[in-house]
This record gives sequence, structure tokens and C-alpha cells, in this order.
Amino acid sequence: MSARKPYVRPMDGWWRRNPFFLRYMVRESSAVLLAIYAVILLTGVFRLSQGEAAYAAWFAALTCPFSILFHWVALLTVCYHAYTWWKVMPKTMPMLVIGGRRISEVALSGIGWAATLAMSVAVYALARWA
Amino acid sequence: MEVFNADIVIVGAGGAGLRAAIAIAQTDPTLNVALVSKVYPMRSHTVAAEGGAAGVVRDDDSLEYHFNDTVGGGDWLCDQNVVEYFVAHCAEELTQLEHWGCPWSRKPDGHINVRSFGGMKIDRTWFAADKSGFHMLHTLFQTSIKYPSIKRFDEYFCVDLIVEDGRCQGVLAIEVASGKFTFLRANAVILGTGGAGRVFRENTNGGIVTGDGMAMAYRHGAPLRDMEFMQYHPTCMPGTGLLFTEACRGEGGFLLNKDGYRFLQDYGLGPAEDQPRNKFMELGPRDRLSQSIWHEERKGRTITTPHGEAVYLDLRHLGEKKLRERLPLIYELAEEYMGIDPAHACIPVRPGIHYTMGGIYANLEAETPLPGLYAAGECASNGIHGANRLGSNSLVDIIVFGKMAGLKAAQFSRSAQNSNASVLEKQAKAAQDRALSLVTRTGGKERHSVLRREMSKSMESGCGIYRTGPEMQATCDKIGELRERYKNLNVEDKSSVWNSDWLGALEVGYLLDVAEVVAYSALNRKESRGAHQRLDGYEQRDDVNYLKHTLAYYNGDNPPRIEYQDVIITKSKPGTRAYGAAGVAADEQRTKEAGNV
Amino acid sequence: MSDGTRTIEIETLRYRPEQDTEPHYQTFSVPFADDWSVLQGLQYIKDDLDSSLSFRWSCRMAICGSCGFMINGQPRLGCQTFLRNYYPNKVRVGPLEHFPIERDLVVGIEDFIGKLEGIKPYIVPKESRTLAQGEYLQTPAQRDQYEQFSSCINCLLCYAACPQYGLNPEFTGPAVLALLHRYNADSRDQGWEARKEVVNAEEGVWGCMLVGYCSEVCPKGVDPAHAINQNKVNSTLDYFGVKKFLLPKGAAE
Repeated sequence: MSARKPYVRPMDGWWRRNPFFLRYMVRESSAVLLAIYAVILLTGVFRLSQGEAAYAAWFAALTCPFSILFHWVALLTVCYHAYTWWKVMPKTMPMLVIGGRRISEVALSGIGWAATLAMSVAVYALARWA
Repeated sequence: MEVFNADIVIVGAGGAGLRAAIAIAQTDPTLNVALVSKVYPMRSHTVAAEGGAAGVVRDDDSLEYHFNDTVGGGDWLCDQNVVEYFVAHCAEELTQLEHWGCPWSRKPDGHINVRSFGGMKIDRTWFAADKSGFHMLHTLFQTSIKYPSIKRFDEYFCVDLIVEDGRCQGVLAIEVASGKFTFLRANAVILGTGGAGRVFRENTNGGIVTGDGMAMAYRHGAPLRDMEFMQYHPTCMPGTGLLFTEACRGEGGFLLNKDGYRFLQDYGLGPAEDQPRNKFMELGPRDRLSQSIWHEERKGRTITTPHGEAVYLDLRHLGEKKLRERLPLIYELAEEYMGIDPAHACIPVRPGIHYTMGGIYANLEAETPLPGLYAAGECASNGIHGANRLGSNSLVDIIVFGKMAGLKAAQFSRSAQNSNASVLEKQAKAAQDRALSLVTRTGGKERHSVLRREMSKSMESGCGIYRTGPEMQATCDKIGELRERYKNLNVEDKSSVWNSDWLGALEVGYLLDVAEVVAYSALNRKESRGAHQRLDGYEQRDDVNYLKHTLAYYNGDNPPRIEYQDVIITKSKPGTRAYGAAGVAADEQRTKEAGNV
Repeated sequence: MSDGTRTIEIETLRYRPEQDTEPHYQTFSVPFADDWSVLQGLQYIKDDLDSSLSFRWSCRMAICGSCGFMINGQPRLGCQTFLRNYYPNKVRVGPLEHFPIERDLVVGIEDFIGKLEGIKPYIVPKESRTLAQGEYLQTPAQRDQYEQFSSCINCLLCYAACPQYGLNPEFTGPAVLALLHRYNADSRDQGWEARKEVVNAEEGVWGCMLVGYCSEVCPKGVDPAHAINQNKVNSTLDYFGVKKFLLPKGAAE
């Protein structure tokens, strides 16, 4: 009989042991807030289909202080989510070489951010002035 | 004790061992190969080789040039029949590695690129960035996975060969994880166990390079040949001894003394030119460069570092872009370990032990004098490298002769029969008891780490770049004393599971035997040739008395018995070993004498 | 040998299965020179203080991959981590996470070896060629497509970094999947077809949650996260049968 007795360490609390993992958990958790916000928006679309009164009621509910606070938190969280999203996006793309030079991950993330900002400005302008 | 039956056992899973295993598996998949290694294959020291592997490919190159460079580089101690076979098979083996996926660096047209290397007349060194050994080893290891007839025994530490009826019939190994023994019985054994650089203090070698196979073969009567020829690589990191590849110089790096002067031109390697020129200056052979640095130190023209005297390796003029592309590993080494940016500052370097030219005597067919025992790679002395190895000849040596050993061992094993099984197992049991006694004995006072330190310090002082009789004798005496004290060893760790204290003690045992061979071989060679240089009246090469290989035979507790063996000369009579402008003149003279235009 | 000018405390995990039921930490005072690595600190302990301390090491220059440890909670190579950067604080050295501890700082890596063997980690040639015909042609640009992924030294820091591997040990893991991609991306190899079962499996690329710590700790810049996640796109395309869009170009049938 061999005297080997391999010791397997438990994984409990693994994400608390390293700041990198903590940031990862925050990143993943941001999706929860994103999901809640999406449900709120979808509810609004549904209320719109039910007529002006229903939509107005939904909109009024959104103006309460708790809702305002939630939306600020959600906005910051979604921005952080977008930041982490664009940061890892280059990992999903193949190695891009144009004119003999590799396109850096920073450049790819930058393109993503540029598109995000452009879209955000466009949507805001549409909502504000159209 | 477990017993495993194989047709061939290979000890060592570096370049030579893996190549041998693949050769056997390819030619005869019915043969069972047991590939035994004390570390996982990708840890083998082949992995650390940087510069490249030589093979004639250019139109302006020829096998004859490679042959002449090798024989001259070896200071005519090479067995020329073996060198002839060698140079004829280098490119083919390197191409085979390419077919297996080795990522050789390429020219823009997609063909293999070659670079300059020390002592080579024409560029012929194939390279994979500056991690050629790493890529070769991983290619070989990953390719070996294709062959089900190769069974690997990873982290099995060999403690002895089993020799019966005058034939080698297997090995006894410890399964490191459990401390249990396995007797691997076979019809033929191939040793690919590497060199013994760790007998010295400052060396480029990994911790595992402890001469295991050399010592095991030696103890069973196979002679160790030309062990006095230990190569000092000129450009190592002070302190750790880590290697800065010769390719730094191949790409155009300079060696400067403390005055910023390219001092090599004072030692017959000049004249100095801006561009690297093969066999000139920094592209001279390693022994001559190390010796030049030694002389600079005597003249007080070196830089003092906390780890000893050094010269500067100047890579600044290559520029960051070229450095990052062609020498990325070197860049990392300088930055991370020394805090130096080689694109902007010079790197202090000093000579360190790098390669063991000598080893277990093996002929062209990789056969040792012990029937059934084969040896290839750094652990073998097959006559390629002579008194000094040229850079990039070793990485290709291991695959050319790894393949040879595999094929010849396979051939032998088909016709060989094992002796009576119980007789063999009894021998294996006796070997087991001997190995265990290191741990079980009580009352010992010595510690192997202490013996190891004293050994390596003594070897450095007595068997350094330049040697004298009295200093070598002092080292011989010291090693003898250490071998005696080894009998009084105490291994503190008595456990079975991963007992590295015990393995370390076994390794020190191997190192001491090999160190004694190096010291006595050096003491008895009363001439200077290649990497063996003396200052005590024997400063010249003596072809009359010493155009011979040194053979050292095991003699128990006594010093080794030293004999001599003629060098095999075929085409190239010993000539002047010259480099730089003197080398060009010597070449022209030889050509004239040979009657060629 | 040490200069003896400064002393640092190295706290290392000990586990001797024949006498310990559980691992525990032991602290040693180690005099060190300015350029000493953590590995050199451990060697001092073994040579001069406690010869029973067991750990793997060899090359000392970050190419053999033997000396991976958890150093102050981060997966690092012992030979490439320097004591001066921790002084005067204590350095805590442990065995790589997510592997079973065999003894002290030595972990069992048979699972990794088995996985490496299972991906056809060798060239499956796209076209045959005899040795007499010479080398396959491969331009520097083609070589660049896979060289980074071929630089893995099998040090297993990425496995210690990957919480997925810790939580789901069937996951093939970063280094093996990076090596798989190395072969797929080699212009001489058939590419996708040969290894798609491994890639497409749940334990293949789909086991990765893009934590990304693997690429962060890799000492050789292999970027296994990139190797794995670009193949999620390939795997998806394969699932929907659009094979001709599989990347990298030229490596797919």
C-alpha cells in the first residue's frame, strides 16, 4: 500500500481570497442589476401597449425617490458592466493583423467604447429633440 | 517491489530520450518502451537551451565545412568517423522536427532561417527565437504522445542498472510520489540522462543535471571518457550562472572590458569589425572566449560585481525592436533578474560551467562497452565534441544520436533474451536495499548539502578555466575525502512520500563519483587542449602523447583507473586551431597543402 | 550562499501525509542577498535549516515550469519572484491551488497530464510531405498566428488561477486549451476537425467563465483566456454548421 494521501483543499470562500476574484464577482453581479433594469423597461413597453393611462401610471411610479436612487445605482453599474464587457471583448476575437501589425486589445476595446458613446449620444439626442 | 516488463527502457526524457522513444515506436510499434524520468519530460534540461541547432542548408555551405568547424572546434579530439555521420544527418533530423511542428524561425519566403554561431564558418544554426531547446523539447514530448507503445514513468528516480551475465537488463527506480521501488526489466537500456555540470558551483545547469546515468554506468564498469573537458560558457549571469545565449553574439553583441574595449582582439580573435563575422571576435569558440575573460581578470580590466569579476555584454546597438523579436528570453532575464534594460545598458556577464563534453563512452552506434546499454546526448561521449563543443552542435547531437540509440537498442532487444527472472529480481532487491540504507542507517553525522557545497567549491578552484597540477591534486584529494565522508551520511527525512532529502543524497552520491573522474582525468592529461588548459609547464597541445581520449574506470573506494584510447582520425590531420584573421590564414594554408585551389 | 545582511521570514506550508492529518504552516528566518528569489530562499531552508522541505525546481530561469507556488496568495514562479519585494514583511509560500497536495509544496498534476495527452497535442498534417522534400513552408506571419500559444511552459499557474478548475475539476483548463489552439492555428495542421470534440464539450471552452486571471498570472504571455474565448465563437459557428467561417484562416477545412 502506498503511503500517499493527497490532500484536497476546499473551495469555500474562494472569491474572498484574492482582489481579482472579488472584482470578478462584482462584474458578474452587475448583470443582476442590469436584468432588473431590463425588466422595468420591458414593463414600461408593455404598459405603453395598454394605453396612455397605464403608461402614465408606470412613469409616475418611476419618479419616487427609491426609484430615482435605484436608477442612479443601475446607471453606474451598467457603465461598469460596459467597461468590463469591452475590456474582455477582444479575448473573444481572433488575432487581427492588418498591414503586418497586430491590432492591440486596447484598440479593440476603444472601438467598442467609441461605438457605445456614439450610440448613447444618438439615442439621447433622439429622445431629447425628436 | 513492483516489476514491469518492457522491451527497452529509456532513462531520461529530454531530447535524446524522447527522440529514441519515438524512433523505436515508429519503426516497431510492437516493442514496449518504458520511458523513465525523474522529472516530468517538459522539465528536462533540454528545455533551457536557447541558441539553436546546426544543420547545413545554405548553398554556400557544405558538410565538409561543418565537419572541419566541428573537428577544429574540438581541437582534434573528435572521432572523425562519427563527426562525418553526424554532419550528414543534421539537416534531415531538424527537418523531421519541423514536420512534427517545431516552430523554427523563418525567412520571409517561408523557408527555414539560419543564424551565425561561435566557431562556425557559414551560418547554419536553425533557431526558434531564443528558445530553441524549449521548442524542440515540447515538440518531441507532444509528438511522443502519439505513440501508445511508449509508456511513461514520470517522476521515477533511477538508483541503479541491473546487470547480469555481462548484459544490462533493466533499471531499478523509485516512484518518487510513494517511495516505492519498481524494477523495470528490459532487453536493452538507453541512457539519456544529461550532463554533470552541477559538480561545479557556478553553472547554467538546472538542479537535475547531476550525472545520474554517467555514475550508474561507471559503477558497472562502463568507462567515462574525456571528463576533464567541462565547457565554460563565456556569458553567464554573475551569481546564479544563468545563461545568456551565444545567439546574443550571433546577432551582433559585443564583449567589452571595464574600459569599454572589445578585448577579444588581444587574444588572437581579431581584428574587430562592426558587423559580426563568423569565427572572429565574439563569434569565436567558447573555450577561447572564457579563457580571454580569465586573462582580462588577471590584468585587472574586468568589472567587480558582488558575485565576482565580470565583463560587459553590449547589446545596445541592436535596438529594442530586434532584441524583443530575436532575443526575447534574454531581454526578460536581464530585466527581471538583474533590473537591466539591454537596449540601454550593458549586461555584466562571467563564464560559468555549461556543458559536459565527456561522458559514457559510446561508439557511432550509441553502444557502450556494456552490452545492452546505450547512451546518447550529453551523458554520452561519442566523439562529436572533442575537447570543446561548438554551440548549436548539442541540440542536434541529441536527436541524431537519440534516433541512432533507439534504432540500435530496438535491434538488439529483438534478439536478446533476459536472464532468469528470479536472479534479476534478487539483484534488483539488493540494489533496493543499498538505496534504502541511506535512509534507514542511523548514527551518521554528515549532511549531503554540506558535502555538495564543499565539492563544488573545490571543483571550481582546482578544475577551473586554467589548471595547475598542485591545485588539481588538492581537488582529487578533497573529492576522495568527501566520498569517504559520504559513507557517514545521515538523511534526516525518513518518510516515503516525496522524500526529496533522500533523492538529494542519492544525487550527491552520483555527483561525487563523477567529480572524482573529472579531477583525476584532468590531473593526468599533461597538455593543454580545448577546454582543458594548464599553466604549469603543459601550456601547449601535445599531439604526440595526448592525441588520445581519457578513459576512467571505476575502482571502488580508490581513485579511478585512467587509460587512454586513440582518437579516430580520418580526413582531418591535427592542425593549428586558429580563429579571427589568424584562422583565415590557417585555413588558406591548409587548403594550399591539400592541393585544392 | 547568503550575505547575511538582511533576514526575512518565510512561512511555508508543510504536509507530511505519513504524520500529518492536515497541512499547516511553518515559519523560517532566512538571511538573504538582494538578488535572491523566493526559490533561493526555499533552497536555503532545505540546505541549512530543514532538509525535509520538499518542492519542485530545476532551471531557475522560468523556462522549465517546475517551481510554481502560491506566494502571498498569488500564483507565481518561485525563481522569478524576489524576496526584496516583500521585505520586511513575511512571505507566505503554499502549493498551487486547485491541485491535491502530495507533500509540502508538491502537488499532484496527473489530471493535467491526462488532459494534455487527450487533445492530440501534435501536428495532424494538412498535407503530407516527405523529409526529402524539405520543410513545410511557413511565413513569419503564419508563425506569428500561433507562436504565443506555443510558449506555454506547463507551469500550471493558470490552473491555480482558474476558479472554474477548482470548482469543476473536469474542466480541460487554460494551458491545455491554449495548446489545442496552438495546433489548430498552425498552418501545417488540419485545424478544427481534429480536435473539435474537445473544444465543443462542456468541459471544453464552454467551461470557461472568462474570469481572466489565467492570462494575468501567465509568466510567458501565452494569454490562454484569448485562446479559449475566441474558440467559443468557432464552437458556436460549428454548432450552426457554418464551418467556412471558422478561424483562424487557413487552419480550418
